[in-house]
Amino acid sequence: MADDKDVWVFSEKPALQAELIAGAQQLTSHTGGQVMAVVLGARSQAEQALEQGAQRVLWLGELPSGRLVEDIVPTLAASVQDKRPFGVIIGATIRGRAVAGRLAARLGVAALADVLEFQWDDSALLARHMVFGGGAVRIDRPLAGPVIATTGQGIFEAGALQARPKGEIEPLSWVEPPWQAAVIERRSRAVSSVNLSAAKRVVCPGRGVARQEDLGLIEELAQALSAEMACTRPLAEGLGWLPRERYIGISGAMIKPDLYLGVGVSGQAQHTIGMSESRVVVAINKDRAAPLMTQSDYAVEGDLYQVVPALIRALKARKAK
Amino acid sequence: MKIVVCAKLAPDASDIEVRSDGSISLERAEWRIGSFDLQAIEAAVRLRDAHGGSVTALSVGPQRINHSKLRKDLLSRGPDELVLVAEDALNGADTAVTAQVLAAAVRKIGAVDLVLTGEGSADLYFQQVGLQLGELLAVPVFNAVSKIEVSDSQVRIERSLEEETEVLELPLPAVLAVTTDIHTPRLPNMKEILLAAKKPVYEWSLADLGLENTPEPRVEAVSLRAPRPVERKRILIEGSPEEAAQSLAGYLVKEGVV
Ligand SMILES: Cc1cc2nc3c(=O)[nH]c(=O)nc-3n(C[C@H](O)[C@H](O)[C@H](O)COP(=O)(O)OP(=O)(O)OC[C@H]3O[C@@H](n4cnc5c(N)ncnc54)[C@H](O)[C@@H]3O)c2cc1C
Ligand SMILES: Nc1ncnc2c1ncn2[C@@H]1O[C@H](COP(=O)(O)O)[C@@H](O)[C@H]1O
Repeated sequence: MADDKDVWVFSEKPALQAELIAGAQQLTSHTGGQVMAVVLGARSQAEQALEQGAQRVLWLGELPSGRLVEDIVPTLAASVQDKRPFGVIIGATIRGRAVAGRLAARLGVAALADVLEFQWDDSALLARHMVFGGGAVRIDRPLAGPVIATTGQGIFEAGALQARPKGEIEPLSWVEPPWQAAVIERRSRAVSSVNLSAAKRVVCPGRGVARQEDLGLIEELAQALSAEMACTRPLAEGLGWLPRERYIGISGAMIKPDLYLGVGVSGQAQHTIGMSESRVVVAINKDRAAPLMTQSDYAVEGDLYQVVPALIRALKARKAK
Repeated sequence: MKIVVCAKLAPDASDIEVRSDGSISLERAEWRIGSFDLQAIEAAVRLRDAHGGSVTALSVGPQRINHSKLRKDLLSRGPDELVLVAEDALNGADTAVTAQVLAAAVRKIGAVDLVLTGEGSADLYFQQVGLQLGELLAVPVFNAVSKIEVSDSQVRIERSLEEETEVLELPLPAVLAVTTDIHTPRLPNMKEILLAAKKPVYEWSLADLGLENTPEPRVEAVSLRAPRPVERKRILIEGSPEEAAQSLAGYLVKEGVV
């Protein structure tokens, strides 16, 4: 039996993989094992994982056409059983959640979902995450290994890229899945992908914005602030005005920018949990009793349709000076 | 077509009481159907209405989920029958235990073509149980399903991923976790509410499922507390839009964020 010390990471998103490697390093500093990345992609992506700090890469090669990332589950399960790592941290994208849940079931454990922080209690691992839609913080202790955990973007800070990485790339072979879905079609929805967690300033419209075309006004404000556009969940899901990757909160992105400006956002816990660590929080809302207004540094009471144009003018005037 | 829809009954998060030491109490919280499970129920009922067959609602948890109001609420939303596995040994069950009990119940229901779950449960929202359940049943399983079309023994689904929509075809039986925007859940009408009282409710014990011992927990919750509030300046800016905008712009400059 191996030592159960290594920590593996897996994400189909290279940027998230870098963050997971940083998270895995926190664990191996206790377990004494190596950080290993499981890579499903081109050889360049495997090399990238080494640059990102992985000590070893288990490389599956590129995804065969007509296959899904999720088809990796039987391969991962077999390798975990064979090589016995301490655990696997998986990027909490939709596909990542599917991989984690199915892998956990195969291995007879429960995945620790959406971990915000790992802690150690003597030699026992603890994981902090949110429950009750952000209304409570729960600390869980896995009772059986291997530890399967998911973490989203913005939880761990990726380290600097290593210029001359030393790690090895070890090929891994596919285990055929017992069933397969036929891919009929893929339609891309987002025009450009966005890394909200890297943004220094974020402007976030909420349901206070009455019509989709009014988002132009909020975008203008974002430009005046050189900020990235985010949104609350209902604008992305349900209304579909903005891509899902732009919404902030427990089920969306977690951000810690220098400035968060919520426009017509009520500030329910499910949302604020994703931005509460921002350095400066500003809210514009016509209701001074809205939860976000009482949890902000600067709370502007007023109609966004009047305040936002005035703010754009004020910012532009300052820039012109 | 025989459909099972899994719905979790859990304490309502808005009823959480925070004690002065930061610990929380759920004692006075009302238990409800998870708001994201209502969409799964709606999707199941619409598929049955379009293709015939039946919908069995399935919920597992502690004894208090076996409550007449909850039973009626579930059944008035359209399912034909309800299966409850209500034992206190399942209080606070982790996702692995829950998935194992659900899998045993689906097997006992038998000849199931499709299992639907919500996007996530109201209390944990780990978005895990459906995926674990599918894997335990060894059938195709997908999350983020925003459209379902059934034909013969096949199902065509749309998945709303972060940046793309994916259309897949899979054989039945399958387990699908639906999104919150798949359908708007209906409000039960008077007729449905009256009908609900007459629909069958099956109360199964773990022993009935062949689970003589409660499946062993894999995760233990060591603490549950209110999130620590972040200190904010809480400066309220009022006045005309122009005044407020000028004042805010000034603060933003002072903070060094513009
Ligand atoms: C399990 C769970 C998970 C969830 N996850 C997330 C998540 O990850 N992210 C998320 O964002 N939400 C999430 N939600 C939803 C969340 O609970 C709230 O419903 C949502 O955040 C509210 O969005 P909002 O603030 O845009 O809208 P609302 O709550 O409707 O608030 C609109 C605000 O705009 C103000 N307003 C209206 N008109 C104007 C005007 N003309 N000028 C100025 N102000 C105006 C109103 O006073 C109000 O405060 C989740 C919910 C659940 C149950
Ligand atoms: N105790 C339960 N009884 C029935 N269904 C459940 C239970 N727990 C979870 N589910 C289903 O699994 C989904 C995901 O749950 P979770 O992984 O807890 O977020 C929920 O939306 C429900 O459809």
